[in-house]
Amino acid sequence: MLDTSAKPTGKAADVTGPSGTPSRRQRRRTAKVGEQVPRHLRAHRTAYLMITPMVVLLGIFVLWPLAYAFYLSFFEISFYKDAEFVGLDFYTFVLTDPDFYDSLFVGLKLALMVVPTILVLALLLASFIATLSKRMAAFMKTTVYVPAVVSSVVAAIIFVFIYQDEGFANWFIGLFGQGPLAWLNTATTALPAVAVPAVWLGFGVSTLIMLAGILDIPESYFESAQLDGANFWQRTWYITIPSLRNVILFLLVTGVTLTIQEFQLPLVMTNGGPVNATNTPNLYIFNSFRDGTPYATSYSLTAALLLFLVIGTISVIIFRVVSSEKSSDA
Amino acid sequence: MRLRRLRVLVVAAAAAGSLVVAGCNSDSGSSGGSGDSGGTAEITFWQQQFEPYQQKWFKAHVDKFNASQTAVKVKYQVVPGDTWQQKLKAAQAAGTQPDVATTNYGGIPAGVANGQFAELDGLLPDKAWSDIKENVAGFVKVDGKHYAYPMLVEPSTVLYYRTDLVKAAGLDPNAPPKTWDELLTWAEKLTKGKVKGMTIASVAPDLGWSSWGLQYNACGHLPINDDWSAANAKDPCYTKLFEFYQTLFQKGWIPQQPKVGYPDATPYGQGQVAMMANGSWAVGQLKQSFPALIKNTAVAPFPSIDGDASKPTATLGGWTLTVDSKSKRKEAAAKFIEYLLAGDPAIMADFFRQSGFSKYTVRTSVDQALANDPAATSDPFMKIISEKVVATGKAEPAYPFDISLAFATAIESVMKGKSDIPAATQKASDAIDRVIKQQRLKGTAPKG
Repeated sequence: MLDTSAKPTGKAADVTGPSGTPSRRQRRRTAKVGEQVPRHLRAHRTAYLMITPMVVLLGIFVLWPLAYAFYLSFFEISFYKDAEFVGLDFYTFVLTDPDFYDSLFVGLKLALMVVPTILVLALLLASFIATLSKRMAAFMKTTVYVPAVVSSVVAAIIFVFIYQDEGFANWFIGLFGQGPLAWLNTATTALPAVAVPAVWLGFGVSTLIMLAGILDIPESYFESAQLDGANFWQRTWYITIPSLRNVILFLLVTGVTLTIQEFQLPLVMTNGGPVNATNTPNLYIFNSFRDGTPYATSYSLTAALLLFLVIGTISVIIFRVVSSEKSSDA
Repeated sequence: MRLRRLRVLVVAAAAAGSLVVAGCNSDSGSSGGSGDSGGTAEITFWQQQFEPYQQKWFKAHVDKFNASQTAVKVKYQVVPGDTWQQKLKAAQAAGTQPDVATTNYGGIPAGVANGQFAELDGLLPDKAWSDIKENVAGFVKVDGKHYAYPMLVEPSTVLYYRTDLVKAAGLDPNAPPKTWDELLTWAEKLTKGKVKGMTIASVAPDLGWSSWGLQYNACGHLPINDDWSAANAKDPCYTKLFEFYQTLFQKGWIPQQPKVGYPDATPYGQGQVAMMANGSWAVGQLKQSFPALIKNTAVAPFPSIDGDASKPTATLGGWTLTVDSKSKRKEAAAKFIEYLLAGDPAIMADFFRQSGFSKYTVRTSVDQALANDPAATSDPFMKIISEKVVATGKAEPAYPFDISLAFATAIESVMKGKSDIPAATQKASDAIDRVIKQQRLKGTAPKG
C-alpha cells in the first residue's frame, strides 16, 4: 500500500528544486514507496530483470496471438472482404458438429492406448536398466533412445509398409494361421495400428526420464526391502512407483496432451480414415482449414481454440486426480 | 503454485499451437508481391504441381513468353497440391498472393462469392471467349461473367482393362461390361490369386469426387437439391450405388489396403489389378511409366447402373487460370493467360501431345489443330474417351467439398461394414443440411 500520509501541501518545501533535483520530501516518499515493495520482490529484482525479456517475448509471440485468435473467432474472416462479426456462431457450429466430438473421442482413445502402454513399458525397462552394469546401461539407454530421434513421418511410412498385405504384421499373424488383415483400412484395427508407432516413438524418452527418477531413489530403500525379502515386483510396487509419483504425473500429463494432439502419424498412415476412425482433433482441424472459403478459416480457428480449452481442462483434471507431492528427500 | 505453473504451461503450449492459425488474420492488405522494373510489369504465377511433364511444359512456355516481349515478365512457381491451400492462405493474409494461379472448375463459384477473382471479360478479347466449346463455357462463368480461362477437361471416371487377362478369364475383351452388375461379374472372374479384379476409390476423400459421375448415374442428381436448400441423400435410388461399392470391397474384388490414391494408376501398371476405374489422366501415366502395358490395355466408358450409355458416369474436372482480384497488374496477367491458353492453338496442342492425349481441349481451334496431328488421330484411347465419356460428362459440382465428403463417408461406411445404408444416408443427410445452414448455401447454387 502507498504511503498516503504524505499528502501534497503546496508548500515551497514540496516543490522540486531549481536544478530539477527531487526535494528532500520527494526523496523520502520515493524511499518509502520502495520500502513498500514486498521484500521477496526486492530480493529477486535481478531474477525478475533477467526473465523480463522472456516474458515480453512470451507476451508478443504467445499471449497476444492467443488473445487475438480469440478475438478473431467472433468473425468470419475473409482475405478479400471486411471480416464479418458473427458473435458466437462459429462456437455453435463447432460445438454442434458430431465430427468434432468424434475427433476428440478418437484422440482420447488413442491416448488411452498409448500413454499407459508407454508408462508400463518405460517403468519396466527403466527398472531393468537400473540393475545393469554401467557399460550395459549406457548401451541400453542409447538403444531405447534411438526411436526418439526418428522423424515421425519416416516412422509412419515404415509402419505403413509393415501393415501392407505382404508386410511384416500380416506375415507374423500368418504364422498362427491368421490374416491377412487390412490393418489400416478397417475401423476396428486402424487406431490400434496407429498407436503402435506412437508407442515406439515415445517410450524411449519416457524410459530415460523414468530411469533418472529411479536413480534418484536412495539405494538404502531397496537394500532394506531386499533384506526383508521383497522380490522385484514388490520393490517396484511399494518403493519405485510411489517414489516416482511426480515423474509419472509429468509423463501422464505430457503424454495425454501430446497424444490427443497426434497429427503426423494418422495424416501419413490413414489420413484420418477409415470412416474417420483415426481422425484426431488436430487432423480434423487441419482438414477443415484446407478449404479456400472464409467459413473454413474461421471454423478451424474456433475449433483450435476449443481444443485448447479441452486439453487444458483434461490436464487440470489429471493434476487434480493424481496430485503430486514433494519428494521424500526434498 | 503448482496450479499457476500448470496454467502458464497450458497457455504457452496451446498458444504456440494457435500461432499458425492466428497468423492468418483478416488483414485486407495490398495486392501481390510482384513489382515493376524498367517499364516491365512483373507478375507472379503459381501453378499447382501436376504430372512432371506439365511442369516442364509450363516452364518452357513461361520462358518463351518472357523472351517474346519486354512488357510483362512472369515469375513462375510450382506449389505442391497438398500444401497449396495453406500456402495460398498465408500469402493472401500477407498480401503477397500470386497475380495468376491455377484454379479448378469447382473452386470458381466459391472464389467469386468471396471476391477472390478478377472479372476477365474486359481483359481478354472476345474471340478468346468465343473459341471455348459450348459445353465448357458455363464452367468459368458466374452470373454471366467470366472469372477464369479454361485450360482442359479430364473426365474423372473411365474403365481400363487388361485384354490379355480378360481373354484368359474367358471374357470377351471386345464386349466390355455395360452395367454395374456385369462389371461385378467381370471383377469376380478376374480376381485370381494376388491379382484383384479391379481398383476403384475406397476412402472418403477420393470417393468424394470420383463418385460424382456415378451419383448422377444412379439418381440423375447429386445428394443436394438444385437450389442447394436441402439434402437429397436419402433418395432410395442411391441404394444400388452403395451396394455396388460394398460388394466390390466386401467380396475382396478390389485391394483391401490400397497403396496409392484413386488418381494413381500404379497398381494397374504393376499388374496388381485387372481393371481400373480412373480418370482420363491415367492414360498419360500408363504411356509414360508402363508403355509395355499399352498393347494389352483397352478403355471403355465406365458402365452405367442399367446399361444406358447416355447417362453420365463421369464428371468433367479440369483446370483454369484465374487472376487475383487484388492484383495490381491485371492487364499484364491477362496478357500472359491470353498467350498461354487463348492464343496460338499450337501451344495448347503441344500440351495435349505432351499429356499423351489424356486430357481434352476446351477450344475449337485447338481441336482443329489436333485434327491434323497423326499422333492424335491414331491414339487408341482418345476417340473413345472424347466421344463416349466426355460427351456425356457433367460439370463438377461447385458446392463446398464438405457436402461431397459427407456423402462419400456414407459410401465408405457402408463399404466397410461400419453402418447400414439407411443409417449412413441419414447421417450424410444431417451433415449436408448442417453445411447448408452453417455456410448459408440456400439459394446460392451458381447459374453459370
